[in-house]
Amino acid sequence: MNDRIIFEDVSKFYGEILGVNRVNLSIPPGITALVGPNGSGKTTLMNLMTGLIRPTQGRIEVLGYRTDDPENLFKIVGYSTQFDAFPKGLTGFQFVASYLRLSGTDAAGARQLALQAIERVGLAEAAHRNVAAYSKGMRQRIRLAQALAHDPKVLVLDEPLNGLDPLARSEMIAMFRYAAAQGCYVIISSHILHEVDVISDQVILISNGYIVAEGAIQSVRSEIRDHPTQILIRCDRPRELAAKVVGSDNTMEVSFHTDERGLLVKTRDADKFYLALNEIASNGIQIESVAPADDDVLSVYEYLIGNDEVVR
Amino acid sequence: MKSLWWAQVKAVIRLEIKKTFLARRGLWIYFLAALPILLFAGYAILGASQHRRSARIAGHGEKSLTYQDLLAVRPDMTKAEVGAILGRSPLISRWSEPRKDGKEFIAHEDWQYSDGQNRLYLDFADGRVVSIHLEEAYNLSDDATLFAGVFQFFFLRLAVFFGCLGIFMNLFRGEILDRSLHFYFLAPIRREVLMAGKFVAGLLATCAIFVASEVLQNVAFLGHLPPGLRDHYLYQNHGLEHAAVYVLVTVLACLGYGAFFLVAGMLFRNPILPTAGILIWEAANPFLPSVLKHFSVIYYLKALCPVDIPVPPNTPPLMALLISNSDPVSLPLALLGILIVASLALYVSSLQVRRMEINYTTE
Repeated sequence: MNDRIIFEDVSKFYGEILGVNRVNLSIPPGITALVGPNGSGKTTLMNLMTGLIRPTQGRIEVLGYRTDDPENLFKIVGYSTQFDAFPKGLTGFQFVASYLRLSGTDAAGARQLALQAIERVGLAEAAHRNVAAYSKGMRQRIRLAQALAHDPKVLVLDEPLNGLDPLARSEMIAMFRYAAAQGCYVIISSHILHEVDVISDQVILISNGYIVAEGAIQSVRSEIRDHPTQILIRCDRPRELAAKVVGSDNTMEVSFHTDERGLLVKTRDADKFYLALNEIASNGIQIESVAPADDDVLSVYEYLIGNDEVVR
Repeated sequence: MKSLWWAQVKAVIRLEIKKTFLARRGLWIYFLAALPILLFAGYAILGASQHRRSARIAGHGEKSLTYQDLLAVRPDMTKAEVGAILGRSPLISRWSEPRKDGKEFIAHEDWQYSDGQNRLYLDFADGRVVSIHLEEAYNLSDDATLFAGVFQFFFLRLAVFFGCLGIFMNLFRGEILDRSLHFYFLAPIRREVLMAGKFVAGLLATCAIFVASEVLQNVAFLGHLPPGLRDHYLYQNHGLEHAAVYVLVTVLACLGYGAFFLVAGMLFRNPILPTAGILIWEAANPFLPSVLKHFSVIYYLKALCPVDIPVPPNTPPLMALLISNSDPVSLPLALLGILIVASLALYVSSLQVRRMEINYTTE
């Protein structure tokens, strides 16, 4: 069995409208964030991954299973969609339990698993209320419960933190991390970059249906040669340091940090700059820390796509 | 694997039945199913009122009459001759009409008699019988034809047809419009198993509604018969057998039309087009070439109906073709035929359901 989620030259067109084009991906275990503005193709990619839509061309496999084989695929996949509609007249518990019964789970098993899943998303008290009476956040959580209920190996979550309050967000993030630590594949889409930045092991940046970058965020950043690397240096005498750094061949731009306790240096060759900094530091300036300042998702995203539609 | 599929089918049925039976948008189907019951209930009430009136006429008569007495009157008899047989009429009305020359009037008298159930209407002109009309209280043959007519031309072709349209067409289409079909498509269930579950749920719902309607129609229809005559009709005149066959035909109609509308609901976004197409196809069945007739539901259902409807004299040929069963099919062949037609439709549905995508925005 293949241990990756594979997209091979996958394209999806809705009539003449492009969904995604020539996507090649190999997604490992852990938390993978799909990042892109609204309409960039994130949901299309997730729907393709779960067989809700079929590719116009190309091949998709999820841990060796074909996406047109729902009977086997959804034994290992749980998908929390963005579709905010539910079968009519069901309570939250019935919604999750019915899903499990559809999977072939017996009544007692479905009841137990449904209650466990609902407990995990913090909806136990509202479990027996009609879904139609749920708030947006509660509906989001009950969809998560449905996706989690059968303990899938692959969790596909389309904007899973939408509508959740800060406490619920941190609980959900902890849950995703726990699942990833257990060896699960957690695919999360978001257009809120600071959220995915803190939780994802790898990112897939998507824009207008094209994958613009994929991989661990630091490695993605290091491959971007067009933009100089920004380095934040914390030290006791920033003005003295600035004077010395400006003289270095590898320095493009120097600016003071807003708190006046550090420098932001732009360089085209970070490795050479670090070597030069060692020499500067040996001349008596106390350097507290040196760290890349733009290897987060937001910066990478801005470099690659622009920041018009990015929500910080 | 089969036990898993069966468990999944049952899970789908549980969800669908709840939705189908309690849907507010399906109330019109119950109304359609109730219409013939109301019709026959009205017929029974009207019949009971006529019987009371006949009993009153008989009670006021000079003699206690029998059915044979009523049959004894012949045209051209005088009032005295009629009076000698039946006694003085308890209900007489008089009227007149001008003669052909326009100068004088013909004096008419209408006499009514009853033996308590049947009624005799006599028209005298210038003192002689010119018209005899015997209205029988219970004519089982006419009543059976009336029931067959309502069954074939209203219940089967309209009520069951549109009821199946409302239920089966919405099994998938309704959920696409509600944007909730993905709930099923996200479960580890074969699409064909899902389709089978939905179809069985639709079949159970339509059968429950229309078989219940058919049974109640029979109850209402037989309601106005005296117990003795009812027993005679049911047990010695094929009444019970006919009722059972009508139920079977109703079930087969739900099966056949259900399969048609299930596939139509998957293939078409707008239900008007396929509905009109199927309606025309079914209505045009008598006029189709023999080979094409076999791909219709009504072709087999008509053959299974227990009572043939006689074509009234002077009926236009096209209408006569519509009424008559000109191409009879044997019972086993009709059963097999409808099962094959339904299976074909379900096969097309199973191919279609595998290809279905969740793309609500384009719907």
